[in-house]
Amino acid sequence: MSANKDGVWVGEKFNRKEDQRLTTGKGRFLADLSAPGMLHLTFFRSERAHAIIKSIDTSAAMALPGVVAIVTGEDIKDKILPMPQPVVQPALPARFPKHWPLAVDKVKFHGEPVAAIVTRDKYVGADAAELIAVEYEDLPYIGDPEKALEPGAPLVHEDWDDNLMFEMGFTGGDTEESQKQNDEEVDHIMKTADIVVKNRFRVQRCGITPMETRGVLAEWDDADGLKAHITTQRPHIDRVALSDILEIPAEKVRIIAPRDQGGGFGVKAPFYREPILICYLAKALRRPIRWVESRQEHLMVVSQERDQINDLEVAATKDGKLLAIRNRGVADCGDGCQGVYWGFVMPFLGAVELPNGYTWEKGDVKVKVAVTNKSCLSPARAFGEFPTRFAMERSVDMIANRCGMEPAELRRKNLIPELPYTSVCGEYMDSGDFLKVWDNLLDHAELPAFRKKQEAARKEGRYIGIGFGLGVELSGVSSELMVPMENQPGYGAATIRLDARGKAMVFEGDAPQGQGHETTAAQAVAHCFGIHPNDVIVTTGDTGTTPFGSGTIGARMGSYFVSAAVDAAEFLKKKIARFMAHDMALSGATEDDFDFIGGEIIYRKDTNIRQTFRDACERNIMWPINLPESETAGLEHTAFFEADKPMIAFNADFCTVEVDPENGQFKLLSWTSSEDVGQIINPQIVEGQMQGAIVQGISNTLFEEFIYDENGQQLTADFENYKLATAADVPDMKITHAPTPCPHTPLGTRGIGEGRPSDVPGTISNAVCDALTPFGIEITELPLRPNMIWRKIQEAKAKQAAD
Amino acid sequence: MKTTVNITINGESYEESIPNRLLLVDFIRDVAAQTGTHVGCTYEGVCGACTIQLDGAAVKSCLMLAVQADGHEITTVEGLATDGELTPLQIAFNEHHALQCGYCTPGILMNMDEFLKKNPDPTEEEIRHGLIGNLCRCTGYSHIVEAVKDAAKKLA
Repeated sequence: MSANKDGVWVGEKFNRKEDQRLTTGKGRFLADLSAPGMLHLTFFRSERAHAIIKSIDTSAAMALPGVVAIVTGEDIKDKILPMPQPVVQPALPARFPKHWPLAVDKVKFHGEPVAAIVTRDKYVGADAAELIAVEYEDLPYIGDPEKALEPGAPLVHEDWDDNLMFEMGFTGGDTEESQKQNDEEVDHIMKTADIVVKNRFRVQRCGITPMETRGVLAEWDDADGLKAHITTQRPHIDRVALSDILEIPAEKVRIIAPRDQGGGFGVKAPFYREPILICYLAKALRRPIRWVESRQEHLMVVSQERDQINDLEVAATKDGKLLAIRNRGVADCGDGCQGVYWGFVMPFLGAVELPNGYTWEKGDVKVKVAVTNKSCLSPARAFGEFPTRFAMERSVDMIANRCGMEPAELRRKNLIPELPYTSVCGEYMDSGDFLKVWDNLLDHAELPAFRKKQEAARKEGRYIGIGFGLGVELSGVSSELMVPMENQPGYGAATIRLDARGKAMVFEGDAPQGQGHETTAAQAVAHCFGIHPNDVIVTTGDTGTTPFGSGTIGARMGSYFVSAAVDAAEFLKKKIARFMAHDMALSGATEDDFDFIGGEIIYRKDTNIRQTFRDACERNIMWPINLPESETAGLEHTAFFEADKPMIAFNADFCTVEVDPENGQFKLLSWTSSEDVGQIINPQIVEGQMQGAIVQGISNTLFEEFIYDENGQQLTADFENYKLATAADVPDMKITHAPTPCPHTPLGTRGIGEGRPSDVPGTISNAVCDALTPFGIEITELPLRPNMIWRKIQEAKAKQAAD
Repeated sequence: MKTTVNITINGESYEESIPNRLLLVDFIRDVAAQTGTHVGCTYEGVCGACTIQLDGAAVKSCLMLAVQADGHEITTVEGLATDGELTPLQIAFNEHHALQCGYCTPGILMNMDEFLKKNPDPTEEEIRHGLIGNLCRCTGYSHIVEAVKDAAKKLA
C-alpha cells in the first residue's frame, strides 16, 4: 500500500484489495456456493457428431437411488421457448438456428447436451449418465467449412438450404454499385502493383479457456421468482434473456455473477444452453440446482475460437508503401447455436480489424461463415482477430523481404501517421500516436546490434531471430457498434453512494473475472474525492443492486465503466461543493472553486476555509436542513457514459527466438512490448493484463488445438491433449509504455486487455522466419510446431539443392 | 462401499464415514467444507489448482482418494496464515500482483511454500520449472516468479 497523503491514486501502485481473500482460500467462486436442499445436475452429452436420435432409454438411470429427475429434449421442447430470442440476437444479417438447450430430434456435434440428470449426490449423477442408453442413426459428418459451403453438401440444419450462416463485405461503401467499382479498383491494383504477396493463412481451432469452468446455482421461490448465480461476464444481459426465454416476468429474475470468477476471456460472455435448462429445472422441481462444469465438458464444447482460413493478398510499391488488401475469409463456426455471438460475430469483427494500424488506399474484404458438426465457437480474447492479425503481420514481413527492407522499417513507413483515422473496413480509430509507440519499441529492440549478433551466431551455426508485430485494439465498444453487432448497448454505468461517514459505495453492473475492478475503480473514485481507496467499496455483477451494464467485454472497464464512475463522482463533488459554498456563506463561490484532496475539501480562494470530506457527507445525509435553494439531500448518483467516438488502444511487440534447424525446435528468448493504454490507473494491473494476454497468445500459437477426427469425434477434451503454456514455456515479458491520453474519457484512460493477444502469432512467426532467413521459409499456418518448421526447412533445403 | 477415516486438515481432525471412491479434493471441499482448494481439470492432474500438502509434501488432491489420506495431516491454503498473519509468500503475491482471478493461486501457494523450503535460494529458471505443475491463465507467470523470488529473500 503506498503512503499517499494527497490522495493522488491514478497512476499509483496500489496492492489489490481482492488478494486478501484470494490468497487465504476465502474466495467465493461458483462451486463454493450452495443452498439448502441443493441438488446436483449432470449433463449427458452426445457421443456422436451428427445423428438422428431414435430413442433414449433413461429407465436404468432413473432406478438408481438418489436420482431425482432426468429430462430430455422431448420433455422440455414444449415447455421452454426455443432460441433465437431477440435480446441475444445480433442485428446483423445472419441465420440464427432454432435450438433448445437439449438436443431435439438430432444431435449436431460431439458433446451436445442430450439429457440432464438431477441427483442428490454428484457422483451418482456420473453413475446415472453411464446408464442412459441412446439409439442413434448416424448422418454424414460435416467437418470442413469449405466443403460445407459446396453445393450439395449435407446440411447441418435441415430447415436451411445450405450451410452458410453469415457472409459480409466490409469495403467499398454502401451501394452495390460502389462496392463493385471498389472491387474492380482493388483488382486493378493487384494486377499492376510492383509487389503482391498472396497466401492462404490457416489458424487452428483454439481459444482462451479459463482455469475455472462454467457453473450455475439456480434457486426458485414461488413468490420471489428466480435467483441464479451464473459464471457470466454479463449478468444483466442474462437476466433479460432468461426472463424472455423462460417467460418469467423480469422483476422476478435476479442474476448474480459470483464476486469471484476464475477467468472469463470471452468464454463466459455468451448466453449458453446450460443456464437456460438449469434455471428451468430449478423452477420445475422447486429445488435449488447446481451445475459445475467438468473440464472435460468444457473443452468438449466451449472455449473454441479462431479456426479461420484467410486468403489474403497484399499489394505494395517496391519502396515498401502498402497499397491495398484483398481478403477472403472462411470461418468454421460449428453448429452456430449459441446466444449473443452465434459463432459468427467473431469472424465478423476479425474482418473489420484486418487493416490493423496501417494506411491503405483501398481494400476488398469479405468473409463467409459456415456451420459444421462441431461445437459453436465461443469468444476468446482477441475476439475474431487472432487469425486476421496473423495473416496481416506475416504478409507485412513478406512484403518487407521482397523490398529488401527491415520489417520494422516498413511498418514504421506505413503506420497511420495521425489520428483520428477511419480504416478501409470502416473502423474508426479515435486517438493515439502510433509512431511514438513504435519508436519506443525500436529503442528497446536495438536492431543494428541484434543484426550483428545474429550474423555472428550464424557463423557459429546458431539461428536467432527477431520478429515484430502490432495491434490496434478496441477500447470499449460504443453503442454505435454494439447495437448493430449485438443488439445491446455499449454505455458504461456506475452508481456511487456516499454515506454519512464519507465512505463511497460503487456499484457496477459488469462482472469481472480477475481484472481487479474492486481495486482499479476504487483508485479512480478515491482519486476524484481525495479519499483513500480503502474507503471505496466496489460491488459488481448483482442485477438486484447494480445499474445495467452490458458486461465485462471488449475492454469496457478502463474505458466505459471507470469513466461513468468518474462522471458520477464529479457530479457528487459539485453538489458537495454547492452545499459548502452555501453553508460557509462564500459569496461568489461556484462549484468549481474547491479542491478535494487528502480527505478534505478546501476552498481555493482561501485555503483556511476547509472541512473534512466525512463532515461534508454527514451534513448532507443526516442533517438536511437549511439547504441551499432548490437543492435536495442525498449523495447518490448514477452516471451513464457513452464516448463521443469509438475508441482504441494500441500496442506493438517484438520477440527474439532461437531455432534449432536440426529438429525445428525453438525457444522464445525475450519479449518486449510498447503500449499506449492512455492514462494508467494501476501500473501493476496493466502490466499483469499485458503479460497474461501475451502468454495466452503464445500458448495459442505454439500449443493449443482442438481436433475433431474424420467422424467428428473431438479428441482434445483434457489438458493432456489440449496443452496450455506453463511457466517454463515462456520468457519474462517486458512491458514498456508510450502513452497518449485518450481525449474522450474523463481521466484519459483507455480500456485494455481484450484484443491484446492478437499480434502474438505474427510476432513469433516473424521471428522464426527471421531466424531461418538462410533457408527462406515462410510460415502461413498455426499452430507453430517443431515438426512443421523442420518439414519446411527440409523442403527449403531440397529446393535450394535443386536450384 | 464406505470406510471411516480420520484426516487432519489444518490442525483440525475430521472423523467421517465416506465412500471409498471419494476423491481427496472432494473430501476437503465438500466434507470438510474448506473450499479454498480448487478443481480445474477432470482429475487428469495437470492444472494443479487442487495442490495441497500431505504431511508437508505438495500433492495434487484430485489424484488421491480420501481413504488414502486416512491418518495423515493435510495443509490447505486456509492453513498457511497463522491467526490471520499472512506468510511472506502470501504477502509477496499481493505486493507483486501475482494473482488476478485467484483460481490457480491456492495450488501455486501450496506448491511454492514447499518448493521454497526445499530450495531456499532458487534461480528464475528453477522457479519456472517448479511451476510446471500449476497452470495459470491470467498472469502470464512473470509476476508469480517475481513474488516467489521476493519471498525467498524475505524467508532467508
